[in-house]
Amino acid sequence: MRQSGYSRQSKFSLFVFLLPTLFFVLVFIAFPVVYSAYISLCEYDYARDRIPHFIGFQGYLDTILHDSFFHKALIIQLKFAVFYFVLTFGFSLGMAILINELLYGAGFFQVLFYIPMIIPLSLVGIVFEWILFPDLGVLNHILHTLGVSNWNIEWFGGPQTALYAIVVARSWKMIGFTLIIFLAGLQSLPKSLREAAKVDRANFLQEIWYIILPNLKPYLLIGGTWILINSIKTFELPAVVTEGGPGMSTLTLYYYTWKVAFEQYDMGKASQIAYIIALIIFILNWGLTRVFRPETAKRA
Amino acid sequence: MTKWFNLWKKYRIGLFIFVTVVTAIYIFPIIWTFITSLRPTQDIYRYPPTIIPGAVTPQNYIYVLTQMKGFLRYFLNSVVVTFITAVIVIISSAMGGYAFGMRKFRGQNMLFAAVMAVLMIPYLMYLIPIFIMEDKIGLRNTWWGLVLPYAALNLPWGLLIMRGAFSTIPLDIRDAAVIDGCNEFQFWYRVMLPITRPALAATSVITFVFAWQEYMFVSTLITKNEWQTLPVGIVWIRDELQTLAYGRVGATIMLSIIPVIILFLVFRNFFIKGLSEGMLKG
Repeated sequence: MRQSGYSRQSKFSLFVFLLPTLFFVLVFIAFPVVYSAYISLCEYDYARDRIPHFIGFQGYLDTILHDSFFHKALIIQLKFAVFYFVLTFGFSLGMAILINELLYGAGFFQVLFYIPMIIPLSLVGIVFEWILFPDLGVLNHILHTLGVSNWNIEWFGGPQTALYAIVVARSWKMIGFTLIIFLAGLQSLPKSLREAAKVDRANFLQEIWYIILPNLKPYLLIGGTWILINSIKTFELPAVVTEGGPGMSTLTLYYYTWKVAFEQYDMGKASQIAYIIALIIFILNWGLTRVFRPETAKRA
Repeated sequence: MTKWFNLWKKYRIGLFIFVTVVTAIYIFPIIWTFITSLRPTQDIYRYPPTIIPGAVTPQNYIYVLTQMKGFLRYFLNSVVVTFITAVIVIISSAMGGYAFGMRKFRGQNMLFAAVMAVLMIPYLMYLIPIFIMEDKIGLRNTWWGLVLPYAALNLPWGLLIMRGAFSTIPLDIRDAAVIDGCNEFQFWYRVMLPITRPALAATSVITFVFAWQEYMFVSTLITKNEWQTLPVGIVWIRDELQTLAYGRVGATIMLSIIPVIILFLVFRNFFIKGLSEGMLKG
């Protein structure tokens, strides 16, 4: 049906239109994916000899079963994901509901929450490092003035607190994304639903629990899955602020993989972990599109 | 009393105040960086710290803009890399999006599905082979070494958006163009591009935001000062000055985010559309 005009006459122009796409896809996407799949089946010490040696799935087995750093990074990643999820989801949902209730100024507040989305994460790291600085940092000063604690909590420097400090900093930057989703969901709710709740004399909390949240479900699922996938990509903050430390307390999966690749130059192992990460992300995405396809389609 | 209470309730003043307070706390890190960047150094390191600035001075900005050669170079690199990447992505995705949205060819759906499937792959997985490739052919420490992978990673999003835009255009327009004697490239350039301007804007926003912020590829592929971009360059400035010159570091941070914030405020509708379409990115 969509077969008219130029389509029959010119194979040449079609080829020209597709040329840039084909170039980038083949050279910078298809080749890297295939090549890293091959490397992941090899032993490849890039610092010493520059040729990969094929060993099959042995490398995967060794990494999954015997690499204790990998296990540690997985556990840290899991911990990170849980707290990151709770904070980002809870805060952005709460703010979305409140901003949606505002009679004026909603657009203004929204824009302020979106600004951190365009600030590079490495700079977010430096800013939070300064705010959370032990002696001169303003947060410890405020806490001290309020009488909550003493001066020198080492937020990024303490093995107990560093991971949470990173959760907060990353969450601060990313909240705008989920806020966009949740606000879009709230604005798509039919007004009649809310009016029905008013007629039934439901209070605001009941309204949220019985009317808003159930109807927001597809958006909550999209936002939640996004947060989980996004938590896996935590790289900049550990790299800039803590370098995985103190100890190994902020060695997230992504950062560990990067260290394996570009500090130890063990390209084989790094590719194996990268493929495992890709698999995890693929499963999360697949779950999202499989189970909630109609809702996803509606949004787009 | 009840009258005031009713007004309070009617205009939801309590809610407004609450949201204002939360938002103020939320943007405090930006405000604090700005305040710090305007303070003289001895003020910043006074113990205990004070929140309200005593003296305000532009000396940190003057120092960064006149003495700090590195910063200006990083800024230039960031601008060039971002700009070239955006141009490449816009042209390529406008061309490819046209082919996918308005032409029919064998393997079309398969090719498109393949491009979209790789969107879900984490960027770290590309970085390892791209690093090896660029290391071997000597593309590291160049603008192109960043521009080419950036363009490749953003192209699928551009294609998705542009195909969407082109597939809503009725094909009759093209038949009219055939009759008028336009060749297909003229038709694409003169008729299609103006119609799809909003989609082109969304594509450029996604690319711009990505390339301006990108840290992992830069920190891996660029090791020389003169090719560094802002996200890594400012970290280097911090390392060099130690944290003990936070006023200057803060000034570099403000200088690198203020232009983007201004762009964001001016084009915020495009930004929000672009950011929400591009948010699933690796």
